[in-house]
Amino acid sequence: MTMTAVFAPVGRATLHVLATLGGAATVFGRVMRSLFPPRFDKSETWRQLFHVGVRSWPIVAMTALFVGAIMVIQTAYFVRRTGATSFLGYGVGYSVFAEIGPVLIGLMFSGRVGANNTAELGTMVVTEQVDALRALAIDPVRYLIVPRFIAMMVMLTLLMVLGDLFAIVGAAATAQGLLGFDWRVLIANLVESHLLDELLMGVVKATSFGIAISCISCYFGLGASGGAVGVGRATNHSVVANATAIFLLDFLVGWLFTL
Amino acid sequence: MTANDLPASQVKRPLLARFGAPVIAGYRAARDLGRLFVDTFVAIARGRASRKQVFEQAFEIGNRSVPFVVITLGVLGFITVYQVAHQVAQILPDFSMLGAAFIQMMCREFAPTITGLMVATRVGSGIAAEIGSMVVTEQVDALKMCNADPVEYLLAPRTLASGVMLVMLTVVGVVSATIAGMLIAKAGFGIPYQTFLRFDLVGVSDVATGVTKAFAYGLAIPVIAGQAGLQATGGSAGVGAATTRAVVNTSFAVIVLDFVLSGLAYVVFDK
Repeated sequence: MTMTAVFAPVGRATLHVLATLGGAATVFGRVMRSLFPPRFDKSETWRQLFHVGVRSWPIVAMTALFVGAIMVIQTAYFVRRTGATSFLGYGVGYSVFAEIGPVLIGLMFSGRVGANNTAELGTMVVTEQVDALRALAIDPVRYLIVPRFIAMMVMLTLLMVLGDLFAIVGAAATAQGLLGFDWRVLIANLVESHLLDELLMGVVKATSFGIAISCISCYFGLGASGGAVGVGRATNHSVVANATAIFLLDFLVGWLFTL
Repeated sequence: MTANDLPASQVKRPLLARFGAPVIAGYRAARDLGRLFVDTFVAIARGRASRKQVFEQAFEIGNRSVPFVVITLGVLGFITVYQVAHQVAQILPDFSMLGAAFIQMMCREFAPTITGLMVATRVGSGIAAEIGSMVVTEQVDALKMCNADPVEYLLAPRTLASGVMLVMLTVVGVVSATIAGMLIAKAGFGIPYQTFLRFDLVGVSDVATGVTKAFAYGLAIPVIAGQAGLQATGGSAGVGAATTRAVVNTSFAVIVLDFVLSGLAYVVFDK
């Protein structure tokens, strides 16, 4: 094996990562330029807010129910071994609010809204609808990108709060139904655990995921080329980049909160 | 635009129809998916998956996912150990159980499930995009014309490869997360490697649960993604919609399977 065969994949991967990072950052910069001062389509923004929120709340709620249920089972292992029943509420609350809840809801949102956004924009690009907008002197950033950016950032933040609520419901139902643990005690434990900081951290994580998902999915959507195959490929790349971004931001925000 | 194209909230339907329609649609989708599962498993059991295809798909699904899994699980190990150690340091500064408990949780829960979600994201959307593109460019019809069954030819090799490779990727995930956690435990909290790297909490039940989960996710992802791809209609918009549906459905399937298998494991390994 020659040296080229060893280093070429590393270099290619690095260039790929840097291109995605730069592309998403460019989208973010353009969005900021249209936001300050605000020059974007207000009615399209309302439409996107409705669209994103309504389209994704059922899957977020269902995911959150299961996340709460899964975490109560996992915490129950420790409770069974140590006998510290008061730990159940704290364990579930901490893991769901701060860590697993935001990550799983972010991944689901990336699949539902981010992938859909890339597919939608990609289809508009390959069918030359974006060029048509430009020909009509409508700036695609102000008309297409900024409304989606605002919608995803706002809605993922709100959905995270909704998700926390549904996770508690899922945890309480599983504790009562599967583990035979009184749900009122679980809720009381949870309230006594003072998890406001963790809740806040989860919501901040969700906001940062919303920003990242919108920029990355718009970048891949606008870069789509080559018909139906190209749109499929762009969507595939978009969800992979989104998932990586979610984990990296999860670490970054978590680290910032412990400073 | 007919009534069916409008968002459900804007259609005035009789009350019963509004509740019944999603139920019927859900039942039909579940029935179709069930049939596809049976067809795929029958094709695998009868040895219809070509060996060459299985190995090609195993490379595509397994080897090509390694960097993605190493990065995401590594970051997960990093952040989990960092946050938990931070909490432990405030309550009781005793880190002797941290590593053992972390490795147990990774084996039983997080490594299989997060790896499963990553494969659902990468491979699920990839399969749907690939098969969806084949459907809208009529390549699947061409396969049928040649008397080649799309399930045997496309889904069986992917399903077999994915089932095996997801177990392998989970092992990679456990190792990656443990190494990342070990490094941050040493760098951030001064926990020696020997204290962190303890496997005495990991029992047979934990490994069995983790492997079962990974294998189940691996079998479910290609079939669900394949169904989304096979139902694609109408050019690039259709392929995009199929890819989106595949990501959501496969990810959600992983979470539901996780709940079911976690519950089962809790009841079965009751001691």
